[in-house]
Parts: sequence; C-alpha cells; structure tokens
Amino acid sequence: MRHLLLLGMGCIIAAPLSAQGDVASAQGDVAVTIYQNGQSLVQDSRQMNLPSGRSKQEFPDVSASIRAETVTLTGPGIGIVEQNFDYDLLTPAKLMEKAVGQTVTLLRTNVATGVETRVRAKVLAANGGVVLQIGDSIEVLRDDGLPVRVIFDRVPPNLRARPTLSVTVESKGGLTPTTLTYLTPGLGWTSDYVTLFDDAKQTIDVQGWVTLTNNTGTDYTNADVLLVAGNPNQGGNRRMYQTSYSPSTGTIDEAGTESNNRERLGDYYLYPLGERTTIANAQQKQVSFLDVKSAPARNTYEFNNGWLATNEAASASSVLKFSTSRSGGLGDQLPAGTMRVYMRDKRGDPQFIGESRIEATPMGSAMSIRTGEAFDVKVKTVVEERTRINSNRWKTRMRYEITNARGNAVTVDLGQNGLWGDVRISEQSQEGKRVSADRIEWSVPVPANGKATVTATFDSRY
Amino acid sequence: MRGLVALFLALATTPLAAQTVVVSEEPEAVSLTVYRGEKYGGQAIDPNWPTGYALVTETRTLTIPAGESVIRFEGVAEGMFPESAIVTGLPKGVKEKNRDARLLSPLGLVDAYLKRQVTITRTERATGKTREFPAMITSAPGGAVILQTNDGYEALHCTGLPERMAFAQLPAKLSAKPTLSVITQSDKPVTAKVTLTYMAAGFDWEANYIAQVQNRGSDGKGKVDLFAWLTLANGGNQSFTNANTMAIAGKPNRENNGPQVKPTGGSLELKCWPNQRTHEVPYNLGYFPAPPPPPPAPAAYMDEESDSIVVTAQRMRGESLASYSPVAVVVAEQENLGDLKLYRIPEPVTVNAKGQKQVAMLVKPGAAFTHHYSASVENYGAQSEPMTLMLRGKNTTDKGLGLPMPQGQVMVFENSEYGPLLTGETTLNDRAVGEDVEIAVGTSVDVRMTVTPQSEKANNQRWEIKVTNARNTPVNIEVEIPYELRGKSKAVTKISGVPTWKTTVAGNDSATLSYDIKLERD
Repeated sequence: MRHLLLLGMGCIIAAPLSAQGDVASAQGDVAVTIYQNGQSLVQDSRQMNLPSGRSKQEFPDVSASIRAETVTLTGPGIGIVEQNFDYDLLTPAKLMEKAVGQTVTLLRTNVATGVETRVRAKVLAANGGVVLQIGDSIEVLRDDGLPVRVIFDRVPPNLRARPTLSVTVESKGGLTPTTLTYLTPGLGWTSDYVTLFDDAKQTIDVQGWVTLTNNTGTDYTNADVLLVAGNPNQGGNRRMYQTSYSPSTGTIDEAGTESNNRERLGDYYLYPLGERTTIANAQQKQVSFLDVKSAPARNTYEFNNGWLATNEAASASSVLKFSTSRSGGLGDQLPAGTMRVYMRDKRGDPQFIGESRIEATPMGSAMSIRTGEAFDVKVKTVVEERTRINSNRWKTRMRYEITNARGNAVTVDLGQNGLWGDVRISEQSQEGKRVSADRIEWSVPVPANGKATVTATFDSRY
Repeated sequence: MRGLVALFLALATTPLAAQTVVVSEEPEAVSLTVYRGEKYGGQAIDPNWPTGYALVTETRTLTIPAGESVIRFEGVAEGMFPESAIVTGLPKGVKEKNRDARLLSPLGLVDAYLKRQVTITRTERATGKTREFPAMITSAPGGAVILQTNDGYEALHCTGLPERMAFAQLPAKLSAKPTLSVITQSDKPVTAKVTLTYMAAGFDWEANYIAQVQNRGSDGKGKVDLFAWLTLANGGNQSFTNANTMAIAGKPNRENNGPQVKPTGGSLELKCWPNQRTHEVPYNLGYFPAPPPPPPAPAAYMDEESDSIVVTAQRMRGESLASYSPVAVVVAEQENLGDLKLYRIPEPVTVNAKGQKQVAMLVKPGAAFTHHYSASVENYGAQSEPMTLMLRGKNTTDKGLGLPMPQGQVMVFENSEYGPLLTGETTLNDRAVGEDVEIAVGTSVDVRMTVTPQSEKANNQRWEIKVTNARNTPVNIEVEIPYELRGKSKAVTKISGVPTWKTTVAGNDSATLSYDIKLERD
C-alpha cells in the first residue's frame, strides 16, 4: 500500500490523508507466541493479491527488531525466489551522497527582498562538503551561509524510511492467503502474583497475572497471544551452585509430582490468552490467569550463619510456606515470576510486606518464600572459645542467642553453613539435622517475648 | 471532586468494538505507605534521589458506561511499578491492565506522521510573510525529516530558512506521560468506587532521633530524653494531598525489576547534508551513550515554591530552652504488620512533590542510659588516641524505653550554659524490644588510651594498656581485646565472646592493664 501525493502544477492537497486517528496497520491476522527467554514467534496471515509470475512483495509493519534470517513466507502456489532485508535508511546525508552525478534544483532566497531564484545544479561530490556545478562554475553548497533550498527530483530506490523486509515470489497470480512467520526479540513475559496473607486464619489469597512487555518498536493489532512457560535452548546446564541458602529467593522445598489438564508443548506449559488483544509498542500488559482464595499457608522464621564467627544480632528471615498441590494448595503450576505478599493492617487496608522471585514450579510442590527480615526476631552468634587441638584440628564452641520480641511464641530454623563435610559436631545443646555436608539445622522454639540459646561445639580439620 | 472528567470515543484503536475511554484525573482519597531504601553506612535520605519506595492506595469514583470501556488513570506517581498495580471495585473485574509509554514528543509526532501529510510554514526573514504548503514525511525520525513537497524531495531545516511543521491532529496512541489503563466491561452504566493500589519508586523514610542527655552522674548513670522524628521524603513530581500516611520499618524483600517497557519519544535530532558550510564542522552525533540521570538540584538554592522541609506539629520553644526535643502534638502510631512495624500518622497530611516531611514518632523522656568510654586495642598504638564516649541503654519498659526503634540517624545533645548543644551525630540500626541500645556519641579529648608492646616470646606476647582520664570525674571504660589470652584476670571478662577490660578510672587519674596474647606457632 502506497500513499502517493498528487504532484503537479499548483496542486493543493485538500484534505489530510488520514484525518482521524492513525494509519491502519498492514498486518493481517497476527498470532504471537511469547517465550520467557526474550524470543517470540510471530505468525502473520495476510491475503495478498499477487501478480502472475515473479514479483517483489514488501512487508511493512513486521517487528522493527525482526530477526530477518528467520522469516518464512508460505502459501498455496507460492515459490520463493529470494528474501531481502534492507536497512539503508533515508537521511539528508544519504540523499545527497546518492545524488552525486545527478542534477538537483537550488532555490535561493534573497534575504533582503525575499525574492526566490531557481537554478539547476549538478552534484559533483559529497565528501565532507557538497561540491556543485552550476552552469560553468564550481561552487560549494551554502558556502555563503545564505538560505538555499535543495530540491531533489526523486528519492533513490534503495533508501527507505524504515528497515524493510521484501520477498520475491513466483506465483500463479490472484488473491492468495499467505502466512509470514518470523522470530523477534523484544517481547517478553513474566508472572506477577498478588498474595494476601491472613495471619489469623493462616491462609493466602493468590491472584496471578501474566505481564507482557513489548519493546519491539511495532504494535501487534488484535493478536492471538500464546504464552509459553519455559526457556527453549537454555537448558542442558547442571546447576553449578547450591541455591538452598541464597537469602532472597523463593524456593521449592519439595518438587511436586502432580499434573493437570493445562496445555503443554513438549515440556513447557502453554498459557493462551482468552481473547484477542492488541500489544502496543512500549506497552506493558497484564492479564489474569490464576485466582485462588483461602489456600492454607503458614509463616515461620529462618536464620543462616555463613561461618563460625561472632556477629551482632541480626534479623531472621520471615518465611511464608504454602503448597501448589490440588488438595490444600494453589492447585496449579506457577510460571516463574515475582510473588508480592500483602497483609491487612489494623484498619483492614492491605499493606505490602515483601516479595520474592519464584522459579517455575510444578503442581504439588511445597514452597517457601522469604518475604523479608523480621524486626522482632533476631539471632546473635558468638564464638565462645576457639582452641587448637593439634596442628590441623581446631575446636570451636559456638553460642546462638535467639531473641523474640513478639507477643507469640515462634520457631526459628537456625542453620549453620561452612561445615565443608569434614567438620564434626562433638556436642550440641539440642539435636540438629545435618541437612547437607556443609550445613546443620536446628529447629528452635522461642517463647513469646523471650529468648532461646543453642550451643554447639565444632571439631574442624584444616 | 469527581474523578470522571471526559468521555470521548477513541476511534481506530480496534476495528472490532468501539471502546469508550473514561479518564480519571485524580483520586478522591489516597493513602501512602512508605518503605525504607537501603542506606549504606548510615547515610541520610537523599531527598532528590530517595532510594525507597511506597505503596499507594487510591480511591476514585468513576462513571462506567455500558459495554467495553478503557479507564485511564492519571495523576499517579511517575515512579510506579506498573506490574504491581491492583485495580478492584469494577463491576465485572479487569479484563486487561495496560501501561503505555509511547510519549507525545517531537520524535513521537514525526514517527506517528510517517507517510502522512503535515503542513510546513516558511517565514521570509526580510518581510515576515509566511507561506504554508503541504508536505508528506517520507523518512522515519532517525536523524532527519525528509519531506515530499510539490517541488520534489527536501530535508527539513537544511535550507537555512525559518521553517516549522504543523500536524493536523494528535495521534491517539501518544500520551503525555506513561499511562496506566484497564479494560473493563459493564452491562449497564454504573458509578463505581474503584481502588487502585500500586508500588512506586522515589520515596524514603528514616527515623531521626534526638537524644537529649539530661544528667550524667559520676557513676556514669544518667537520664536521656529520647525523641524521634519520622522523616519521609517524596522525590517525585506528584503530590499526595490529605494522604493517610504510614511508614514501615523492617526489611521486606525486594527483587530486581522484571523487564520494563522503555518509553519512546524524545527530541528530534536533525542532521543535514555533509557539512552545512565548508568552515562549519557539524556536530557529529556518532555513538550516543545513554543519557546520565538528571543532576540533582542544588540543595542550597531551594526556591520558595518548593517547601522542602515541612515540620508538622512543632510548638514554638520557650525562651529558656530546656531540651532540644520538641513538644509533639501529633505522634505517629505504631502497630505490628506481620513481622514489620507500621507507623501511622493519625491525621491526613499532604506529602508534597519534591518535599520532605517530619512527624514525631517516638517520645520517651527520661530513659535510663549509662555512659562509658570504649575502644578496641586493635585500633590503638603507642601514641595516645582518644576513646569513644558511648551511651548504653536497654530497650525495655523499666529502663524507660520498651518499644521498637527503627533504624535512623541520631543527634546527641547535652546541656550547657548556652542551652542544649550538639555533642555527637551517629546512626542506629533497627532495635527490637529487649535489645541493648548503644549510641556512639563521639571521641573524647580527655579520655585517651595507648597500647604498647612489652615483651615477645615464642608463644607469648605481652602488651600494656594505659588509659588516662583528664576529666575531674571518674569514667567507666570498656576495652575490647579480640585475641586469645593467656591466664585469667579478674578485670577481663568475655562480652559476646570478646575478652573485655571493664574498669573505672578515677578523675584526673590513669589506669593500666597488662595482658598476654597466646601465639600459635606451627
């Protein structure tokens, strides 16, 4: 589709080309599949009126960040001759460079009188400055600093307003349904969960939203949108580091083994949007996909000591535990995203109490997310004594003081890391659980407005 | 005040169904909960660049027509995290939430008018006469505007003539600011009370304590009037009028932001022919790095309009200033919110754009504190260095405190003949009920310490500490010796695992201690 101005003597363009709103998109029926690794698959089905034989078809309104090498055009009776992606863009400098050897019109305006004079000039060179031949004399453009309009007869054929995809096809001709597919970066999605925690009832209400962002530079009008939970071509790597005690993320305590009837693509889950929607450029869009009321949840505390060292009292993490199981849980898979937790204040208004990133979680999993640091529950670690037994054995006596300024009793999961597998615990005030070679955990009940102390002696080898 | 301002039909947004656009300009009621930013090394709030965030809850009354409609929320904080927005109160819920960031700008206009007609007006410098003619934009706004006129092709602003572009209409897709909108449906026209909740960057708060030392006994015991301001800052351009304002202490977890849309738009960069004049080298744009954040406004040049510090509920002090702590009429109320502490300003207040506000949050006159001078031998040598004066209290009711004390800055005042004067400035971390509260006031010229080596053997190192007191009153001292010591000394006790020398040095006197460090030799 081309908008041509009527050119001619004294032609006045009477009405604006499109007075109302914006120019209609050249896109056809668009289907967009968005992955979570920044890639998206776009399918654009258009009815094209093709001439018989070979013809070059331009495709405006494809993604401005299109990966041109991934384009495929298909349709009945269509053979592809070649595909081109041209990005030589129209600028004044380019216009002048491509006019070398051609003749342009100069329109000089007399500064004093406003009288215009028109001359034809041949562009000899455009290297730094523009050298012109006007009649028999050679001049440099605007060397006098006076106003002069340079009018070009035409725009060179290869210069474009935007990068343009074109496909040369061979066709029998006629109205042909075609499908253009390509990959583009710049579209992405994640999930945002709104979780309202009720401390008294120990329940959560969870609403899940998918959040799409479009930075492709192009609008996708009235598109059929499908979201894929999973990252193609990013697997294969074993986890290098244990993340069980990373302080800030949500964790899957026990991976679930349940499934439901959600559509799948290989090992990925599919989230089709219920209705067609327009994804505008520079837009963030949210659509609801999960709404669960009164799922059971409980809050607990966790503290990790990284090394056998004396530290000032520091806050324990507040942890919220819940399940994604069908019975007694959220009853769905959770695509990776951010869970924001709210809680009602004394007046009943919801207030934000922290957020946590969760990874893609199978249905039936036991989850714990760290929402923040507890103001009133603190742990102080003290090295009571460190003695050398012999040249490579040390004995460290640790004391952990847990204080609780809350009006209710709490249980703190106290963890000591840095045990390297060869550290033995020769004595401890309560039985701990060696959860890994590097870590021991004690589950410590702390009375309301009270204190609890754990002591342990570590026998380390160097 | 009605939230509904205008109803108009948005054409050409979707060919299927015409959506009615409802614009909600401002909220009727707003509540603001401010969360603290990360402040390293106890620095104060940067009012121009606050690092915390806020939860904003607004109520707006809207008239929603029958059918599908788009509700545009205006007057929200520009630091909004759009993914956190929650809209409730719509009769049939929210179909979609959208945040659009295609901004109305010179660049945005040219982009929207690509292959469309604009009007060019040229003015003759000599006569002032103007001439208008139509032209079509044929290049995207990447450094230039190339126009197709009835004469041929020309480049805007490459002629040296005064010329300007005019556009027939505002493109519907462009907005003045990034805008949040929701799509909703209704069977019949209804008036709905809608609540919009969202998180926004550009806020911060902290406590600002005033510790007024009332008396200081010769035994080191004394009374301190402790007062704290709740200082909150709004670094954005949006004011919150009569807001139900709260602040949260404790540390809710925050994750890095997910993908955000980049606003489009900006100024139109125009580049012309290679070298406009032979002796005029053009400004070569070349590689353009990301623009730096806007520089903070110089704090010293606050204009009168931006009332930068508002002190609410402070009464004039009398002539004889007994205490630096003000008399508070309004004190923020504290309640527990899960594992966090919530402070509520009991009356609605206005949090101005680019403004900082203070309301009292803690008033505890007569708290029991002890004075002592503290040092660690690690930081001392043969040359005498001043020791640090510390105030130590306990956050319990019987010691005159017994309430959560959020992190903040502390100013310590002592009385003098000239009234209360500042003797120290320090910071305090979050202190729960029952914890020790230690305030480092400052160093003392009069109470000094030297640490000198005495002898060294293969497995033993002997040192001597000498503390001199030039004050005419006795002082309590605490010196940490963070090493493994040989032998036992009555004067040295372990505090939190660290051997510490605690003693009292008489007025105008000195005290010494020898200690042996165990050396481990392989």
